[in-house]
Amino acid sequence: MGDAKQLAQPGFQRRLPATLESVAQLMDALEAYAEEAEIDMRVAARLNLVAEEVAANVAMHAAGATWFSLAVTPGAQALDLVIEDDGPEYDPLARGEVDTEAAIEDRDVGGLGVHLVRKLTRDARYERAGGINRLSCSLPLAG
Amino acid sequence: MEITETTEGSKTVAVLDGRLDTATAAQTEAALLGLLGKGGVIADLANVRYVSSAGLRVLLKAAKQAKTAGASFSVVGLQPPVREVFEISGFDKIIPAFATRAEAAAA
Repeated sequence: MGDAKQLAQPGFQRRLPATLESVAQLMDALEAYAEEAEIDMRVAARLNLVAEEVAANVAMHAAGATWFSLAVTPGAQALDLVIEDDGPEYDPLARGEVDTEAAIEDRDVGGLGVHLVRKLTRDARYERAGGINRLSCSLPLAG
Repeated sequence: MEITETTEGSKTVAVLDGRLDTATAAQTEAALLGLLGKGGVIADLANVRYVSSAGLRVLLKAAKQAKTAGASFSVVGLQPPVREVFEISGFDKIIPAFATRAEAAAA
């Protein structure tokens, strides 16, 4: 294993049925992973959040999706995330921006999840290939 | 999510313990809206280390219902990751946050 040095920090990979129970299961597994990989508490909270937003969206809204998966690959500066599902084509990043300055009466309850994902990650991109939705992004380890 | 009810001054305090996320949103919403039927509510989030957008939606609904009913709704004890989520979603501008229950009760 010549790559052993680069893999000092373990990665994470899970593929689960597209159900809400799986979302809770994923959260528990990610918390255990963050502890094992000694990921900073703030970064771990962001990792949980991004994973939940995307997974819950698939579990609740993607009719026909049977599974979703999350892969986390630690790099020097960031965690690289890839989230996939086999639901109908859907680009979560196509959603409009949330108006965070609006008064309480005008605040809508929708769209907050993808807003958080956008703000917490870098280089978020969506692609559809081979019947799979793939959202890739990176989560900075500092800041 | 464990939700315990107590009081501070004339307001009800809902002490939340756990993750406020997709899995716990419905239960938390029912509890908070139920308590708001009795008057002002302070949600103590000191033992909540994680709030997702599903959790934010619950807090927004509670704040909106309070506004309609002329009651108060505020949060206390925001942990750093929760505060961060509040700030980037603009919730710090629409839901009053206090350091302590006493400050929230006096507001």
